[in-house]
Amino acid sequence: MAQDRRHSDDYAGPLRRLFLGVLVICLLGLFLVWRIDSPRVERFRAAVVDAVVPNLDWAMAPVTGTVNILRDFQSYQRIHDQNQELRRELQQMQAWKEAALQLEQENARLLDLNNVRLDPRLTYVTGVVAADSGSPFRQSVLLNVGGRDGIVDGWAAMDGLGLVGRISGVGQSSSRVILLTDTSSRIPVTVQPSGQRALILGDNTAAPLIDFLEDAGSVRPGDRIITSGDGGIFPSGLLVGRVAQDPGGRLRLRLAADYERLEFLRVLRDYGGTRIDDTGDLIAPDAVPSAPLPAPASAAPVAPMPATPMPATPPLEAAPSD
Amino acid sequence: MTEAGRAYLWAMRGLFVALCLAVIFWRILPLSTLPAGWAGPDLIMALVFAWVLRRPAYAPALLIALVVLLADLMFQRPPGLWAALVVLTSEALKARAPGLRDGGFGPEWLTVGIAMCLAALIYRLSLAILLVPQAPLGLSLMQTALTVLCYPLVVLVSSVALGVRKVRPSEGRRGRI
Repeated sequence: MAQDRRHSDDYAGPLRRLFLGVLVICLLGLFLVWRIDSPRVERFRAAVVDAVVPNLDWAMAPVTGTVNILRDFQSYQRIHDQNQELRRELQQMQAWKEAALQLEQENARLLDLNNVRLDPRLTYVTGVVAADSGSPFRQSVLLNVGGRDGIVDGWAAMDGLGLVGRISGVGQSSSRVILLTDTSSRIPVTVQPSGQRALILGDNTAAPLIDFLEDAGSVRPGDRIITSGDGGIFPSGLLVGRVAQDPGGRLRLRLAADYERLEFLRVLRDYGGTRIDDTGDLIAPDAVPSAPLPAPASAAPVAPMPATPMPATPPLEAAPSD
Repeated sequence: MTEAGRAYLWAMRGLFVALCLAVIFWRILPLSTLPAGWAGPDLIMALVFAWVLRRPAYAPALLIALVVLLADLMFQRPPGLWAALVVLTSEALKARAPGLRDGGFGPEWLTVGIAMCLAALIYRLSLAILLVPQAPLGLSLMQTALTVLCYPLVVLVSSVALGVRKVRPSEGRRGRI
C-alpha cells in the first residue's frame, strides 16, 4: 500500500506543482487586475459580499444581539449612577428642547419671509447595519439596502445626529458605507461661524483630522462643522461635528454621529444639482439668439428692453403711496 | 483507501473551511464601529499553518486559496495578494514539515514565526511597490506579533480538541493519505 502511494505521489508531484503555480498566478493576476482596473474588481467584491452577507443575516443578528445584551449586563452594575446622570442630562435637554422649538419656529418664519426653497429631493432611505468591515485597518459598515432600493455610489449616509460616511460599493441588496474615520475618507466641509473651507481626513482614529484650512487662527474648538457640498459629491449643510484640539495642537473633528452604536443609517438621495461648469461670457454666445431670431429679426431685440424695467418701477412707485 | 477514511478526510476538510468561515463571520459582526486602537491576530493564517504542518491533506492548497481569497474580499483587503502569499508560505512550510516533525514544538514555532513575518514583510513591500495605500505600520506589526503569539494556542486547540496531530512513526504514511 505504502509502495503504491509513493508511486502515485511521484506521478502527482509535477502535476501538483503545476496546479499550484497556476493557482498562485491566478491569485496574483487577480491582484494585478485589481490594481489596474480597480472599479471592476470592486464591483465583483461587492457582488461577492452581496451574495454572502445577506445569507448570514439570520445568524448575525442573534449573535450580535446576544453579545450586546452581555455587554449591557455588565453595565447594570453602574445602573444607579447612570440613572442619576441621565436625569441630570434630561433636565438640561428639556431646556434645550424648548430653545430648539422656539428656534425652529423662528427659522420657519424667516425662511418663509425670505421665500427660500429647500431642496425637495433631499429624501432618504433607511438601512440597518448588517456587518462590519472585519478588519482593524478599514472603517466601513455594510447596510442591508442596495441597488434594489435605488442606492447609488457616493450618496451620504447619516445616523439621526450627523454625517457618518458615504456609500462606496453597491450590491443588489447591500451597500458599503466608508466611514469618516477610514483612512481613505476625504470630505469637504465648512467650519460654521467663520465660513472656512476645509477637508476632513480620516486617519483610523475616532477623531479625524481637519486639514487644508485657509486660516487656522479663525477656527476655535467647539465650532460647528457642516458639509460644504464642494465637488458636488454631497449635499451641503449636513452636520458633521465640532472642532476639537488634540494635545499636539492639531485640529480634529469630534463626530456628531454616535459611532459607538451605528444601527440604523439614513442614506440621503441626492441626484446632484445643476452644475455650472463654465465661467460666464462677457459677449453673448452666437448660438443663443440664432434660434428664436429668424422670423421677427427686428422686433425681438427691441421688445424685451422696455419690458424689463417695467416690473421694477411700479413697486418703487407703489411703496410710497401706501 | 477505505470508504470510512475518505469520509473522515472530507469531514476534516469541511471542518477546516467551517473554522475559517467562523473566524470571518466573527470578525464582520457589527459589534463596534469605532476604530480600534489595536489589531487582532490573523487566526486564519495561524490555522492554515498549524494544519498544514500536521495533516496537509486536511488543508489542500485550493481550499486555502479560496478561503483566504474570500477573507480578502470580505475584509476589504487588496484581493488575491494575501491569499497568494499564504498559499506560497504554506507550501514552503509543507516542504519543511518532515524535518520539523521530530524536533518538538520550539523549532516549529520559530520556523512558523519567521514565515509569518516574511509573509507580512513581502505583503507590505509589494503594496509599497505598487503604491497601494497601506494600513499603519504599527497595526500591521501588532497583527503579525499577535498571530505568532496565538500560534501555540491554535495548535493546542487543533490537536487536543479537533484531533489534528502530527503523524506518528507508528502510523506510517497512513495518516497522510
